[in-house]
This record gives sequence, structure tokens and C-alpha cells, in this order.
Amino acid sequence: MRRSKFLVGALSGITVVANADHIFARALAAAPLPGLPGAENRCLVLVNLQGGNDGLNCVVPHGDADYYRVRPSLAIPRSDVLAIDAQLGLNPQMASFKALYDKGMVAIVQGVGYPNPDHSHFRSTEIWQTAAPDRYEHTGWLGRYLDEADLPAANLFNGVSLASILPEVMVGTKVDVPAIASEAAYGLRVDRNPMQRRAFTALVRDERLPFSSPYLAHVMEIEDRSQRGSEELPHLIAGYTTSATYPATPLGRSLALAAQIVGSNIGTKVIYVQHGSFDTHVNQVAVQNRLLGEFSDAVKAFYDDLSAHGNDRRVLTMTFSEFGRRIEENGSRGTDHGEASPLFLVGGGTKGGIYGDAPSLAATNMGNVRFTTDFRNVYATVLERWLGRPSAPVLNGTFEQLALLG
Amino acid sequence: MTVTTAQSSRVDVAGVRRPSGSIDVAVALRPYEGALDARRAAHLLRRAGFGGTPDEVRGFTGMAAGDAVERLVRFPSTSALPAPENVYDPTTLLSQYGPRGLRDLSPDARRQLFVQLRRQEVRSIASLQLWWLNRMLATPAPLQEKMALFFHGHFTTAAIQKGVSPAMAYRQNQLFRQYALGNLRELTRAVSKDPAMLLYLDNALNVASHPNENYARELMELYTLGVDHYTEDDVRESARAWTGWRVIRITGQPFFAPRLHDDGTKTFLGRRGNFDGDDIVSIIFAQPQCARFFAASLLGLFVYDNPEPELVDGVAEQLQRHDYDLAPVVSALLRSNAFYSQRAYRALVKSPAELVVGTYKALGVATIGRSALPAMRAMGQVLFYPPNVAGWPGGENWLTSQMMIARQNFLAGLVNARIMGASSWLNAIPMDPVRATHALVGTLLQDDASPASYAQLKAYLMGEGASALATLGVENFQERMHGAAYLTMAMPAYQLS
Repeated sequence: MRRSKFLVGALSGITVVANADHIFARALAAAPLPGLPGAENRCLVLVNLQGGNDGLNCVVPHGDADYYRVRPSLAIPRSDVLAIDAQLGLNPQMASFKALYDKGMVAIVQGVGYPNPDHSHFRSTEIWQTAAPDRYEHTGWLGRYLDEADLPAANLFNGVSLASILPEVMVGTKVDVPAIASEAAYGLRVDRNPMQRRAFTALVRDERLPFSSPYLAHVMEIEDRSQRGSEELPHLIAGYTTSATYPATPLGRSLALAAQIVGSNIGTKVIYVQHGSFDTHVNQVAVQNRLLGEFSDAVKAFYDDLSAHGNDRRVLTMTFSEFGRRIEENGSRGTDHGEASPLFLVGGGTKGGIYGDAPSLAATNMGNVRFTTDFRNVYATVLERWLGRPSAPVLNGTFEQLALLG
Repeated sequence: MTVTTAQSSRVDVAGVRRPSGSIDVAVALRPYEGALDARRAAHLLRRAGFGGTPDEVRGFTGMAAGDAVERLVRFPSTSALPAPENVYDPTTLLSQYGPRGLRDLSPDARRQLFVQLRRQEVRSIASLQLWWLNRMLATPAPLQEKMALFFHGHFTTAAIQKGVSPAMAYRQNQLFRQYALGNLRELTRAVSKDPAMLLYLDNALNVASHPNENYARELMELYTLGVDHYTEDDVRESARAWTGWRVIRITGQPFFAPRLHDDGTKTFLGRRGNFDGDDIVSIIFAQPQCARFFAASLLGLFVYDNPEPELVDGVAEQLQRHDYDLAPVVSALLRSNAFYSQRAYRALVKSPAELVVGTYKALGVATIGRSALPAMRAMGQVLFYPPNVAGWPGGENWLTSQMMIARQNFLAGLVNARIMGASSWLNAIPMDPVRATHALVGTLLQDDASPASYAQLKAYLMGEGASALATLGVENFQERMHGAAYLTMAMPAYQLS
């Protein structure tokens, strides 16, 4: 099913995905939007809600009687919902996030997905990260952005992954993004022994080896970068004082480090963090509510911290999840893998509000929420307007932008 | 030992022309006539396995290439090696209930049952991982394990997802071992009907009334032909031919249900007939592209990445001539001039499994401990969990900063571990900086270091001032020696196979 017609379009050059016939067109700008001024000082923080966040219990359609019919044990009682309007509201654990929404700092884009949705966690994660629903791609959309963006080559921290792995979204062909699980894990044992460290530094830079290898230069570069990076980072960010109380959760720790990196002005343009797992096949309410509460509190602390340092307008935070979940609950008080779900943009130039169409629980795609906004429309908006870069080379096609940044 | 440099000649010692971009395939695939020096012996042991112990490298040095390869390819039976203990098989538990019984459980009881089951599975996979690493380390047939690991990344299946139990993962692992140097067509047929594969790529859900194309597509795209060598119609028709294969959930056994099979005429890759899955595999393997596809994979596994198209064609021809029997083809590849050429030398990035197992072998440590599992995870390779259906991308994908830090910290951690105690040859190195440096660089890197690195390492061993060698006691000297061993392995050459 995947990579059939789309591939042909992609190969022939510029592809415009014909989704203007979706009703969400009101969120689309008629003409390409100009980039916002000041892109050089801005940063994008991408939050991966891993495992498939259930959109319906996150942005709750409490005005829709169908919601209460299809979710007999999982539906959030109307009285508990943090109402945004008569139709929609947020999960009850998201009070801190609701406060940001009420300040006009949050855009909610409904029904985000892609054509021919894949229900596999890793394939769908790969699709969101590579921005290639139609083919296998080994670079991520932010990796390609970093490759193209003409950033200072000497800076080791143009992009940073605050996770133990380098997610595919940050993989490029020219730039190596450091993965930093925590400040403590991002360090070489050898650096603890000054004598060994001196020798190490010389040995990994030995260029006169008695053999050649296509990978030798790359190995040397990475050994060099990982050593310099792990040595530099603590010094670069040492001057920052955290000005908020973060929750003692992995996401809280990641965002505290993100605020520190942004506030230290080391030129970082994109930061990846992750949170989960939202794979709630069983006992969904307890698990998802806890995770959404953690997300909400951590993001609130993040923007408190950023504001205290005058950085809140410099940082746009965007969430994604590989898919939403099945509309009807399953037999074990959970939900199975689904399709489209809402996506959040916070802070930066966000024009608060709700964009796109609320999911229809009647007109479904075989029991799943139909996508009404292609995620590449959101990516294009962020690339062009926030990061100030052409999106076509990154997204392998031209996608209309949404009018949600101003 | 001759030290050859990259710039030294356009025709390298093995007669393969470089770097003109052209290649004389007849020469490249002809057997290498020389005897193995230490570099080539270690090269062969790395590529046909997970590297040699110092004794193995010494043993292979001076042998004729043909004899050395023969020894690795005609490996002894490994049936006496220990099987993994307590591979968790949830069917034992599930079969107590039967499908009816499960349905009768309360939702709470069912949830508890599955939570318990999942916990057992995760634990069981961890011990399988450790068992496999230790088998790679101890086996008298490293090429068998190398091929099993290759097939694991080629015909990918991830455990636990989609109901793939540890027992099924182990069963598939044994299948790969059984066919290590067997017939590729037969392996492809067997793995197509393997329960883990049937579940992982949804072929167990593929029935005449609702064909599921997942396996049919990946079989061609990732396993045998590569993208662009078939049409969407071929995918659909192949899916029809594969209908009817099921896995009994309670027992984990695969079976074929004729009433779920589409018995109609299919048109596939230009042929028409009432095909079943076995016919599909036969038709695929009759395509010259299939031979080219596997030839490129084998060259990337054993020789070098991005092989010249002419070389791919040469190996593809051998595969066809031997009707896809791997033993003669792999044997010829490991004996070839191309294999011993400068272009092939240290031309691949060690996978985490190669780095971990190879280091235990090189240092002479007999057992891989549990700490290797988080280390491998940090390096990006979790056995039985390939990242997706396309397997581990390998090559430079192993080389990110954090993965490199994980590699370096694994090496530094291992030389300092208590396990390095008595058994390792490191402790027998004399307290002489010059001899020690040569022992380390010679044994761990086959002298693939520059004079400046020797000097650097010697200076480290000698120390200065209060930490000068002369002032050290035996114990501190040992610590210094272990530090020097780590520094030797920190050199770029060590990351390359």
C-alpha cells in the first residue's frame, strides 16, 4: 500500500500533496507565509510521545455523545474535563498545560497523520521521523534540516538529542548530532584519568596509519567529536541557573537540561526529547493520565524557566506521537494502535488556539481517526516560519503551511 | 611484516587494481596464492567470525589461505554446545486455559496473566542474548554464528512484538544456524513458514478473503530482490499465493489451512499458474536479480561495502552456478584476492556484537557477563530486537557520538573489570615499556598504528615524575598495563574490521 503513487511523485521532483480538499483548509494559508524575523536565535524542541498517545483522552471531545458511547469504561467524565469550549477540553491531569493554553501559548492541531497509516510502532515512528510515508529513508527531517541549514560547522551542538540513542529524526548525512542521555552519561571514562586522557587525545587523532579505510576518517571524526563534546558541554552550560522547579521525572530532567542548553546560547537549533510509553493496550486511564500529567508539569516548568531568563519567545516546542489509538476501547480497558491524533505546539511564535478538524467518531477509517492534516504541513510551517529554511529540500516536496505561528 | 600504505601502489599486493574504479573480476575472484601474514590471518578471523584469540591468530599466521579458509568453512558439529536454559514458552501457560478458558477469565485476571507473561518473556530474552553472545565467543564454528547473526539482521524478526515468544525467537535462531552455509532458497522457504516470521510480518493473518501483503512485499523488497525489481501487482499476487499459513496461538506451531488458501491462478513476475508460497520462492530465485541481491549482501558482509557492479555480477554468477549453496560461494569469497586486497582491509565498521565478542576473545576473557547487555544497548545493537524490518543499517550508522562513547566506555570498563584478573595474557606482559608496547599493538591491532602512536603508548607506560614506571609496584604496573591496553583499543583501527 505504501510507496506507490507517492513515490512516483517524489521522484519526479516537487510533490504537492493534494489534501486541500480536506475541510481543515481554513487553517491553511492561501500563499506561502514569510519566515518570522530572528530565526538565527531560535530553537525547536521536539517531544516524542512514544508508544502512540491516545488523542481522544488527551484532547477530549466531551461535547460528542459518540465519545461516551464508544468509550464506556475509558471516557473522561464531562465534569472532569478541563474544558476549552463546549466541544473540547484537556485531560484532567493537564492543568498546568491548560494554564499555558489559557495564556495563548498553545496551538492544538487536530487529526494529524499521513496517508496509508501504518500500525506498526517502529514503522510509523520511522515515517514521522524521516517524514517519508512513501519510502524507506535513512535520514530524518531534522537531520536533513541540519545538513542544509548552513550552521557553524565548528559547533558540536547545532542539534542535540537528549536521549540515550540518536533518534532517526536527527540523522543526517553531514552533521553528527550528539545523543546525550544526561550530563553524567555523556562522558568518557578515560577523561577521569588525566594521564590516560592525554594519551587518548593523541592516539585517536593519529592520522598516519599504515592502512586506508573508507570509514577511518569518520571513526576519527566521531572519536574526536565525542571526546571534545563530552569535555566541552559541562563548561559551556555551567553558567546557567535553573529558575523553576521541574518534576523529578525523566522528561523533567530532559527539559531542565534543554532550558540550560538554550539559556547558555551555544547555538543549538533543534533539541529532541522523549516521553512515554503511551502504548496503553491495557489499563489506559491510569497510565496515560500519569504520563500526561508528567508532560504537562514538565512543559509548564520548562516555560517558567525559559521565561525567567527571557527565552520563552525563542523556543518552540512541538510534540508528535507515532499514532493515535483505536476509537473504540478494547476488552482490557485499553485501546489498540490507531491513526491520527492531535499535536501540540507551545511557546515561541505560537498563535494559541485549535487548528484543524475535530476527529469524527462517525466517519472513521475502519475504526480509526481519519487524518485531516498531513504532518508534513506542520513540518513545513516550522521549517519555513520558525527555523527560516526552505522546506522543499527537507521534505522532498512542497507542503502548504498552517497559519499557526505569528 | 610488510607495512603497506594507501598511497603505495595502484596495483595492490593481491593484484586488484586501485584506485582506478575498474576491477578485473577474474583476478579479484581468483584464489589468493600467498600464505597469511598476521594481518591477513586476523582479517580472516574477524570477517569469518568475531576475531581471533592471540593464539588463533598465531596459529593461522603462515598458513596457506586455502587451508585456513577450509578450516573455517568446514566447521565441526556444534550440537554438543550448551543450549540456552529455560527459554520461556508462554504456550505452556496458555495451553492450560485454551482459547475458551482465556475468554472466561475476568478482565483483571487476564490482564494479570499477560503482565506476568510479558515479564517472563523480557527476562527470557535477556538470558537468550547473553547465551548467544557467549556462544559467539566459545563456539568452535564462529562462521556459523556469523551467518546466524547476518540472517537475523537480514530476515528480520523482533521478539515479543506481535506475539513472537522467546521460544519462537530461539527456534528461528536455530534455523539460521542450521542453514548457516546451506542453501539460500531452502532457507528462504523455511523462514517463510517459521512461526516468528509468520507473526512478525503478518503472514499468519493472510487469508484468501482478506489478503495481507506485508510479508509478500518484504520478501521481495528486503529479503530477495530489492525495491524496483517487482510491481505492486507482483506483491498482490504473491500475497494471494501465501494465503493459508497460520500459527496456532496456544501451541505456537505453524500450519497450513487449505480452506484459507487462494487456489486461483496468479500472475507473478511474468509467470502464470496456481502458485503457492514455495512456487513464489522458486520464481524469485530464478531471477538473475536475486543472485545479484544476495551477492551484494555477501560482499558487504565479508569483503567491502559498495562493491563494484562487475564484482557483484561475478559473485552472483557463482551463486547461480552453485544453485544458491552458500558453502562453496562463501569459501571462494574468503579465499579471493578481493578479500585480501587493500580495499577490503579494515574496510568495515565492527558491529557492537563483533566489538564485544571480539574484545573478550582478544583479551582472553572466557565468559561474557551481564554488563555486556546494557553496553550493547547503548552501542545500538540489541540482539533479537532489530530496530525495524530492514534490520541494523550498519556501517557508519554505528558511529554516532553517543554510540562511540558507549564503545569507548565498554572497552575502558572491561580492562578495569575484576574479570580481567588472572586469565588474561595482559598480566604476563613484561615490565618493559618497549616490549609491552609492541605486545599490545601487535596483538590487539596487528601493528596498525603509526610510529607516533607507539611512542605515545610507550610514554604512557613509562609515566613521569611521581608516577614513573620505576616507582610502581607490581599491582600498579598491572593497572598501568590495563590502561595501555585500553588506549590501544581506543585507537581508530580497533573500531574497524
